[in-house]
Amino acid sequence: MRNPRWLAVAALLGALSLVAAACAEDEGGGGGGGGGGGVDCNTVEFGCVEVGPDDPINIGVAQVISGADATLGQDQVNGIELAVDHRDGAFDGTDGTVLDHAVELTVEDDGCSAEGGQAAATAFAADTSVVAVIGTSCSSGALGVADTILSDKGILLFSASNTNPALTAEGTHQPFYARTAHNDRIQGAIVAEFSLGKDVGAKTAATIADESPYTQGLVAAFEQNFEAGGGTLTGSEQVNSEDTDFKAPLRSLAEGNPDVLYFPIFVAACTLVIKQAAEIMPDATLIVSDGCLSSDTLKNAGADAKGVYGSSPDIAASANPFYLDELVPAYREAFNSAPLSVFHSHAYDAANILMDAIEAVAIENDDGSLSIPRQALRDEVFATKDYEGSTGTFTCTELGDCATDVTIGIFLAPGWPVEGGSPNAEAVYSDTKSLDDVL
Amino acid sequence: MGTSPAGVAGVQMRGFERLPWRRIILVVLGIAIVLVVGIGAWKTLALPAAEGGYSAAAWRDFVVEGVSQGGIFAMIALGYSLVYGILRMINFAHGEVFMAGAFGSYFFADAYAGSGFLNRSPVIALLIITGVAIAVSVGTAALLERLAYRPLRHAPRLVPLITAIGASLFLQNVFRGFFGPQPYGYPKPQLLTGGTTILSVPITRVQLLVIVVAVLSMVALQLFVARTTTGRSMRAVAQDSEIASLMGINVDRVIVITFVIGGILAGIAGVLFSLTFGQVQFTMGFRPGIAAFTAAVLGGIGSISGAALGGFLIGLLRAVGPPLILTGYGIPSVFSIRDAFVFLVLVLVLVFRPGGLLGSGEAEKV
Amino acid sequence: MTDVRSWIRVGIIAGFVTIFLALVGLIGRFVDLNLVGEQVTFARLVLIAAPLVAGYVVTRPRIQAGERRALAPRDAIVAGAVSGATAGFVFGIAVVAADAFGIDRIRSVFLNVSEPLIDFVTFGQPPVVGAVILTAVSAIAGGLAAGLRVTPIVARRPITTAVSTILVLGFLQRIIPIALDQLGLERDWLYSRSIGGLTWLGAIAVGAAAAGLSVLNARKGRELRARLFSAGEEKTGVAPAQLVLVLVLVAVLVAVPWVVGEVISQVLGTVLIYVLLGIGLNIVVGYAGLLDLGYVFFFAVGAYSTALLTGAALNTFTGSGPPAVSLDLNFYLAIPIVLLIAAGAGLLIGAPVLRLRGDYLALVTLGLGEMVTVLIRSPWLVPLVGGPNGMRGVSDAAIAGFGFRETQHFYYLALGFVLLAVFVSWRLSASRIGRAWTAMREDEQTAEAMGVNTTRFKLLAFAMGGAIGSLGGSMFAVQIGSLTPASFEVQVSILVLGLVILGGLGSLPGVVVGSLVLVGLPGLLREFEEYRGLAYGAALVAVMILRPQGLVPNVRRSRELQEEERAQDEWAQEKEVEVAAVEGMAT
Repeated sequence: MRNPRWLAVAALLGALSLVAAACAEDEGGGGGGGGGGGVDCNTVEFGCVEVGPDDPINIGVAQVISGADATLGQDQVNGIELAVDHRDGAFDGTDGTVLDHAVELTVEDDGCSAEGGQAAATAFAADTSVVAVIGTSCSSGALGVADTILSDKGILLFSASNTNPALTAEGTHQPFYARTAHNDRIQGAIVAEFSLGKDVGAKTAATIADESPYTQGLVAAFEQNFEAGGGTLTGSEQVNSEDTDFKAPLRSLAEGNPDVLYFPIFVAACTLVIKQAAEIMPDATLIVSDGCLSSDTLKNAGADAKGVYGSSPDIAASANPFYLDELVPAYREAFNSAPLSVFHSHAYDAANILMDAIEAVAIENDDGSLSIPRQALRDEVFATKDYEGSTGTFTCTELGDCATDVTIGIFLAPGWPVEGGSPNAEAVYSDTKSLDDVL
Repeated sequence: MGTSPAGVAGVQMRGFERLPWRRIILVVLGIAIVLVVGIGAWKTLALPAAEGGYSAAAWRDFVVEGVSQGGIFAMIALGYSLVYGILRMINFAHGEVFMAGAFGSYFFADAYAGSGFLNRSPVIALLIITGVAIAVSVGTAALLERLAYRPLRHAPRLVPLITAIGASLFLQNVFRGFFGPQPYGYPKPQLLTGGTTILSVPITRVQLLVIVVAVLSMVALQLFVARTTTGRSMRAVAQDSEIASLMGINVDRVIVITFVIGGILAGIAGVLFSLTFGQVQFTMGFRPGIAAFTAAVLGGIGSISGAALGGFLIGLLRAVGPPLILTGYGIPSVFSIRDAFVFLVLVLVLVFRPGGLLGSGEAEKV
Repeated sequence: MTDVRSWIRVGIIAGFVTIFLALVGLIGRFVDLNLVGEQVTFARLVLIAAPLVAGYVVTRPRIQAGERRALAPRDAIVAGAVSGATAGFVFGIAVVAADAFGIDRIRSVFLNVSEPLIDFVTFGQPPVVGAVILTAVSAIAGGLAAGLRVTPIVARRPITTAVSTILVLGFLQRIIPIALDQLGLERDWLYSRSIGGLTWLGAIAVGAAAAGLSVLNARKGRELRARLFSAGEEKTGVAPAQLVLVLVLVAVLVAVPWVVGEVISQVLGTVLIYVLLGIGLNIVVGYAGLLDLGYVFFFAVGAYSTALLTGAALNTFTGSGPPAVSLDLNFYLAIPIVLLIAAGAGLLIGAPVLRLRGDYLALVTLGLGEMVTVLIRSPWLVPLVGGPNGMRGVSDAAIAGFGFRETQHFYYLALGFVLLAVFVSWRLSASRIGRAWTAMREDEQTAEAMGVNTTRFKLLAFAMGGAIGSLGGSMFAVQIGSLTPASFEVQVSILVLGLVILGGLGSLPGVVVGSLVLVGLPGLLREFEEYRGLAYGAALVAVMILRPQGLVPNVRRSRELQEEERAQDEWAQEKEVEVAAVEGMAT
């Protein structure tokens, strides 16, 4: 550089001009268009989504569709696609319409991580045609990340598989976040209840958590309810989901001689704990949760998996005939496989609740275009009451939990509800609780 | 400024820098460490079982597991040490050489398990499986040497190190691309299930196998290096490669052989590791690789006995260290920070003995 | 005719490379990624990539008997064709064998081998026919590449420029149309909405423009630049043209977020964060020559310190709660404290490693990075940093109510800090400290002998490098607003090291380039997310072998790194001049 001083001056000018530019630019929030309906899109907070006369309604989908967890996300994408198909009343491969507009899904990969959640949320926040987003796949992508980014823009984030309690807790709940997936406070409580109950009759328990919010939420719920029910916690360990060596933590936990070992971790680590616990704590009853329920686990853990209990939403108990006789066959037909996880039904229901809400609040303009007010859409979804979904009834609370009565089943390996097994798997224990019943 | 040395660099030596600061700090640090460790251990051992104390059986199990895993680490560490001795470079990708062998052997192991061969003739099956592991590991190591390291033989030290890091990443992702990101369960023959007791110490069959094989391999290696011509050539090249080549030794060939030996050991370690933990995955080489590298440095890199000692020591430290020293201070879930613990130990050892435990007491310059 | 053998050998290697690419999934996954029209897909490109390279490689001029010999055009094309054909042949045989053996059986081992893949590579024909077609297509590819080599440079340069521009634009099909939309320009003639990639019309137009510019640059470029940059220099001490260029650069930097939209601005924001990290690591590794493999340490320290000092809360099971130790300061008051903490941490790290040589230093720093990763997620420190659930509510660095978390605003905040860091780093390198570092880096013993207190300067490097790196962490915390331990793993250290090296050790513009390539590109090209690690590892190895001084070299470091190559190059160039002189005399 010939003369650094000039560079400095230029940089200073640049800095000043950027402040000016930023102040000058206006973030237009809402669109104009359409009158009537009692909502003025120009003045209402968060504005409206404008859908042109021939344009489709754009629904965002933030799910993990690549990498090791892809089946979780893909399963939900499939569920949403089925919902759009069935809009016209039948699973016939032709999509239905909402208010005579086609429905288009924009899928972004959320990577089951905070960064992925942020990237996906930002992409949707920037796209003014997105009405709402169904996602994220994993709680880590939503917690403090996607839920905040989208709430700041008034875009509804409706999750079918986030289960971490903090997402709908007082003080951390984001106004535009809701979910059809269960709150893990319920699942943890039911696992504790099962452990204390007559099938297992445990007095003592130990837990293993990994570094994901999903696991932490479940373990915390379990521990609270187990102790409240009279049990004693003999120890808890935290491991890394990428570890292979769990012998030492297991040996340490074995010292307390727990009756039950609860480790709601993910497939890779879960398989190893099952195998290693067989040697180190052969007398303990092992319990896992839905993050571990996959045919890979059963295959890789082999004989050691026998006798391991797994908790998961009990689809069979809460499914209505529509689900069993129409939805599942349609899934098989369309995607050439049995459902990959239990969450497709939650995604199906979320999509339907959303589309119903759009129909309820959208302002149909004379030229055939639609104006969908964001705040009203959110309010409509949150007002859902006694909605009969495919595998349960939904009533949304103020804090966004729509799955209020949740049926969790405990399954005994190899009868786990894994792909091909669900919904044929039969729970050995099943209970329905609502958020008010649990701690 | 004048032309005096201090003037040229523009830095002055001040009076207080002549104090033996280093000595003082080392002594204080040493005392602090002894205190922390001692008090921690005391408190842990005084803990009653109900409050997190460990029974004698638990300590025995920790030690046995530590020794067994230490054997695996030692075998991998030898690969690092050998290559370092000859090329003065850290083969960061050695963890992936280990992973490659384990992964390669998986497909055979799985097939044999499926057909029942694994349980009908476990010894033969295991030998074949190990052979495959060795072949894949050696192939990977040889490719690495030929493609990534040989062109950089004379480059400044930073360059091959970074190349090794890149190669490590690349290899991991190759296996991910070929075989997918998910873990695969590794079968175990019935022969190796269950345990036995030696000198009233319970030990599983797998642990026993690991320890025996590790020790035998290391003895074999030591004999090879000490007694055979090739071994002598290796030592010669390690000492001074230019003079060795002047003496008629084919340095390229010796280097390849070194990588091959490292590969053999890594392949065997791969099978042992898979039998111990029951799973292979494309990421499985990274953490053991770092642990083994730490072991090699701890023991004194470049030396076989150093790598062996370091390996077993790291195994023990990982298994026994956290429960013994940290539990007493009320730290929850001590095993979750055991890698941090091991690194802390490494750093402290290097502060006192920069060349490693069995290395010279001095930091080698350049 | 031993040449033929080497052609065949290269071809065989290329064939295996293609097999490798197929097994890894680079062909199968991208069958639908259209680059130009529906004909030029990424999968097809990958299929002929190895034969193309083979054709180019076999025709390289060799130095034989002291002379630089190139192949005659006809021989070159034959060489390329033979090589390409061999590559295609090898791959074709593999396909036939795979089909005979049973695709499904192979699939149980190599996940990416599938019927659709085989269908694709055999162009929908039965395997043997497909293999023959493959051989022919690869031969053509090899021949083309060879032909390119022997084309006189007057024609070659425009062709390569045109082709690479078309390909780059094809890859950026998800970004450029958005930018055009934002600017209100027509985009449908260039990018087809239904196909995704460039239209043929657009490709031809772009290619022609690029070729034209290339020709223009070759003819007039040098003159023009010389005239432009020296005009007016005698009078004012700096050429007005240079000043204009700088102002244009500044204007572009300022205007960018509004032109490219939110998504790209977010990627740019992340790029800026990594530029900050890179500048810091550049001080440690580039200036002082201390190999630090655990730089995530400072990233984490910066992020979590910022969070704790600006009143962030912990995520707990029931919602959120306050950390054990926290302050609620204004962001700009907190920053100097964060810098101090990081500098202190740097000194703490530096102290035990002072005496260690390069490789040990690498390991120890790696270990320290791992330690931090482990500790922030451990149950032990949950009361302080929230463990796996993390923290939320980091300040948005607001000034008088104007927050900086929105993507476009954040860009400016980060840009401001980057400029600051650039300035500091640049002044450091030119100062006495910088010279001491250079001395230390080139020969530590001699530097000590000359009176350079290496202890002090090493510590200084860690402290300053760490402080700047912590700024990067701070920006990250502001950008996302929530922190989880998952963001602070060893991959960050490797990525930052990689971008510093790729850009050029010790080179500030290099850090920016490296960051754009290694952070910006993957952020924009998200369909290649799964192959990021593969590309990254390969790039690292390739750069170290082919061009260790990086993309934008720091002159002094390249001398250090390339003594031998430079000597050879000089010698080769002398030879070329001589040969040319001889040839000139002959005609």
